[in-house]
Amino acid sequence: MAVLSRRQLAAYAANELLANKRVGSVAKELAAVLVNSRRANQAELLAQDIAWELERRGTAANASVTAAHELSDQLRKQIAAFVKKSAKVDQVIIDEVIDKSVIGGVRIDTAAHSWDKTLSRKLTDIREVL
Amino acid sequence: MILPATQFAAESSSSGISSLGVNLKSFIFQLITFLIVLLILRRWVFPKLVATLEERRKTLEESLNQARLTEETLQKAESKAGEILQAARAQADAALAEAHTKAEEIIAKGESAASERGARIIAEAEERLGQERERLHHELRGELAELVASTTEKVLRQKLNEREDRKLIEQSLKELV
Repeated sequence: MAVLSRRQLAAYAANELLANKRVGSVAKELAAVLVNSRRANQAELLAQDIAWELERRGTAANASVTAAHELSDQLRKQIAAFVKKSAKVDQVIIDEVIDKSVIGGVRIDTAAHSWDKTLSRKLTDIREVL
Repeated sequence: MILPATQFAAESSSSGISSLGVNLKSFIFQLITFLIVLLILRRWVFPKLVATLEERRKTLEESLNQARLTEETLQKAESKAGEILQAARAQADAALAEAHTKAEEIIAKGESAASERGARIIAEAEERLGQERERLHHELRGELAELVASTTEKVLRQKLNEREDRKLIEQSLKELV
């Protein structure tokens, strides 16, 4: 039996999810394939591939938002709108991460895009430029 | 022969010679004695004396000849020594001149080599100095950048509160859009 690539599995999962199949059912199928092909350690990578596939198809984007302080609801909405527009997706899921090392500003990472407007990034740029 | 002589002397003593105050007998006797001595001398003494004198003369002559020869030889030797000395002096002068020339050449070469080496050392030192200056400049810029960045970071950490951070995020989102 030919082994399906991770990209093929991600495309299959995206298709199934867009066909309104239950997430738990799709996850079980994928887990079975990974275990059967001795690639159980690639589950995390497969999840990222699925997110990338869904984003590429304009369905949904999982945005990891890193800031030094907790975001307000207003900001979350603004960020979601920004990601929708920039990544051209219908739905945005925000995972908020508080990280004091960024000092200020915000960093937004999706499966296919990344925007870094943190102060730590700017200071790093200054160090590199000088 | 002696008797007639003495007789003649006795006879004549009273005549002319005696009148001069000379004793003829004594004179004749002395004359005979002189002749005998002369004969003895001519027979035994003079030949030996002459031979000795001749021998001494010859020796002296030989010595003089030898001395003359020695003097000539000495003169020749001196002349030859002078020639040799002159030749040696000329040779030494030539060698000295050659040595001077070679020494000047060596000094000139040495000066040229030293000059080239000095120029090379100076060029290398300048190059190293330039590299060191560039490195220090680079390090200084790096340290300055680090100082600026770290100072800014400290100030921002102290001054940036949640409200201002939200404003900053909003501003960033506007810039991204």
